Amino acid sequence: MCQVYVLCVGVNDEVGALVFDIGSYSVRAGYAGEDCPKADFPTVIGVTLDREDGSTPMETDGDKGKQGGTTYYIDTNQLRVPRENMEVMSPLKNGMKLMFEHYNIPAFFLCKSAVLSAFANGRSTGLVLDSGATHTTAIPVHDGYVLQQGIVKSPLAGDFMSMQCRELFQELNVEIIPPYMIASKDGVREGAQASWKKKEKLPQVTRSWHNYMCNCVIQDFQASVLQVSDSPYDEQVAAQMPTVHYELPNGYNCDFGAERLKIPEGLFDPSNAKGLSGNTMLGVGHVVTTSVGMCDIDIRPGLYGSVVVTGGNTLIQGFTDRLNRELSQKTPPSMRLKLIANNTTVERRFSAWIGGSILASLGTFQQMWISKQEYEEGGKQCVDRKCP
Amino acid sequence: MATGADVRDILELTGGDNDGPISKKDLINSDKKKTKKATETLTFKRPEGMHREVYALLYSDKKDAPPLLPSDTTQGYRTVKAKLGCKKVRPWKWMPFTNPARRDGAIFHHWRRTAEEGKDYPFARFNKTVQVPVYSEQEYQMHLHDDGWTKAETDHLFDLCKRFDLRFIVVHDRYDHQQYRKRSVEDLKERYYSICGKLTKVRAASGTEPKIYIFDAGHERRRKEQLEKLFNRTPEQVAEEEYLIQELRKIETRKKEREKKAQDLQKLIKAADTTTELRRAEKRVSKKKLPQKRETEKPAVPETAGIKFPDFKSAGVTPRSHRMKLPSSVGQKKIKAIEQILIEQGVDLNPMPTEEIVQMFNELRSDLVLLYELKQAHSNCEYEQQMLRHRYEALLKAGSGGGCGTAGAGLAATPQGGELNVEAKEQIIDVVGAPLTPNSRKRRESASSSSSVKKVKKP
Repeated sequence: MCQVYVLCVGVNDEVGALVFDIGSYSVRAGYAGEDCPKADFPTVIGVTLDREDGSTPMETDGDKGKQGGTTYYIDTNQLRVPRENMEVMSPLKNGMKLMFEHYNIPAFFLCKSAVLSAFANGRSTGLVLDSGATHTTAIPVHDGYVLQQGIVKSPLAGDFMSMQCRELFQELNVEIIPPYMIASKDGVREGAQASWKKKEKLPQVTRSWHNYMCNCVIQDFQASVLQVSDSPYDEQVAAQMPTVHYELPNGYNCDFGAERLKIPEGLFDPSNAKGLSGNTMLGVGHVVTTSVGMCDIDIRPGLYGSVVVTGGNTLIQGFTDRLNRELSQKTPPSMRLKLIANNTTVERRFSAWIGGSILASLGTFQQMWISKQEYEEGGKQCVDRKCP
Repeated sequence: MATGADVRDILELTGGDNDGPISKKDLINSDKKKTKKATETLTFKRPEGMHREVYALLYSDKKDAPPLLPSDTTQGYRTVKAKLGCKKVRPWKWMPFTNPARRDGAIFHHWRRTAEEGKDYPFARFNKTVQVPVYSEQEYQMHLHDDGWTKAETDHLFDLCKRFDLRFIVVHDRYDHQQYRKRSVEDLKERYYSICGKLTKVRAASGTEPKIYIFDAGHERRRKEQLEKLFNRTPEQVAEEEYLIQELRKIETRKKEREKKAQDLQKLIKAADTTTELRRAEKRVSKKKLPQKRETEKPAVPETAGIKFPDFKSAGVTPRSHRMKLPSSVGQKKIKAIEQILIEQGVDLNPMPTEEIVQMFNELRSDLVLLYELKQAHSNCEYEQQMLRHRYEALLKAGSGGGCGTAGAGLAATPQGGELNVEAKEQIIDVVGAPLTPNSRKRRESASSSSSVKKVKKP
């Protein structure tokens, strides 16, 4: 579960606050008061080193660029250029906290992203279902505070989907070739072997970077093709669904029918999904009901009455409808269930950021900042105390 | 875009009221000069912004002039437009400010109008906190000591309450379970409110009766348990409950029907009794021709018995035979019955309507109807009695010994409505539809009745 960092930079800029939302898939950053982040780039850093061992620990890394020839590349454009020896890694979360200390900011504030997602949808109480890249989490929020004992996490999320898609391609004997390798390609028949020419003079790229680029291809496939069926997966029904045509960068193209529905079914019903150990995983519906079940019974109607759906993985077609159906089956009939899911991509992926933007621009928020002085006096404990 | 005020400013001309800061009145209010003109002319023109229809309601063409004291219609009906650019620009300044709600006196910067420099931060007044009582060591030792709670734990509880503004759900969530025991929300609330209560009592000035909030932890716990059970009901249980409620409703309606029928019968009988009594009294009086000791207390003849002939109060002339007409409320069967008896007895169906005849004929028909109803009720009761007798005999044969004795008692006993006895040994009535026990199943199979409604006459 990622945390959103809100910085107050008051020195030279006209704007009062910056909002950072660092997720495991992408980083969202921008100015408070705006309705969408100015910067949205993947949470990976390309590091080129002169040394041969690839990894650099980030904790000790205060000032960029001082460690003997290390260059960092962030943002999509820079990352996707093939370079020699460029390793790809994800910055550790604690590292970010320490980095703030070197930037001489006057005040900062940390807030749980679940609370901010709820705020962005106009609620201070609700159950936030965040399905992102690495985790699907259900977090109950009551009156602006997270109920930590009710948090339920499941690893079935975007990355799991990607893995399943990879396996599908392996079964179909299709090789994933990222675009940087392709010099030219010919059109082929549906389902036929791809015919393409490799680029000459490709630099020696590292394994991690190559994997990263392949993942990008698979994620594109995942976003365009997969769909969640309305009811639990049924072979006959799936066979009748319309197929979607998709073409890989190397020219291989195919119509995908039943697989489109089968793969995301693992999110809701993990008992049949491949690659899972036993039946210990919870489907999305179960995650939600378990989380609410761990809360005090008095607030349960409040939680069910505002189930906020956020996260990039929820943008799969049919996700919210299926979730609605599952929840209405599992809750007692007298319970009023309301699912809040924004339909635009921007709002669902960035809802935590938007919540931070709203929060930082409130007049009544100004007293909640943790100023430099307070941090120096109190240390990390004051962060725990002041931030919900 | 340069407005007049800006141009004047640039050329440093003076004109108009430039002095003083711009106020909302200047932007939104109407010009004061124009109102004078409006009062002078008695115009029939409708004011701007007022809809045509509204104006037409007030002043139509043919009516008089508008009232002598016209109100200022420019105020109300106009959609106000902000007049921008009429004054000098108010400068903004990037200035530091302190927020009185903060404890550390940190200085932040923001844009504010120079006119508001020095004023308090307007949002500081929203910083409301809940008053959580603070106790001293002595107070704790003297009054607030409790076996289940250590001082450290109590302190921890109060600290959390202050941090989270008495949101007990959050307090319970953040409570330190490793260090202290696992407490439920009710435990925390109980401890908190008991301490508050004791402190108010202790600290209250002598002589005053302080108001203490009493928290009933036991009640809360039971309530939550109930809620949990309600929440965790399976669909089967819900269905069963629905089913039981329906059965209950059926029983109640049947009971009502029974009672109504019994009442109707009673009325009928009473009517019959009273009419016969009336007749006898009249005959006696007329035979003896004695000064009548009119027992003016004629028992009121219930109106459901017999036919009530309406008293004609029509305007104009009506023939007397109208009074002989049967009212429309009498059903076909009764009319037929009346006709039949009249024919049998050789009475004319439509006699000559003299005063006496009319009255007697009406009475006759009323009595005939009463008789018919009584006959029907009688045959109904006979029929029911027969049925019950058959049933009783059938049960005697089929049922076990245990069922019989009580079955017999049941016949005479008044049924108790609303009781759904699944064992249903006492109630032969109303066992329809309930989950069947072996006994009652046999009874149902042997009973031949088609209707499930049984009536029992109250003794």
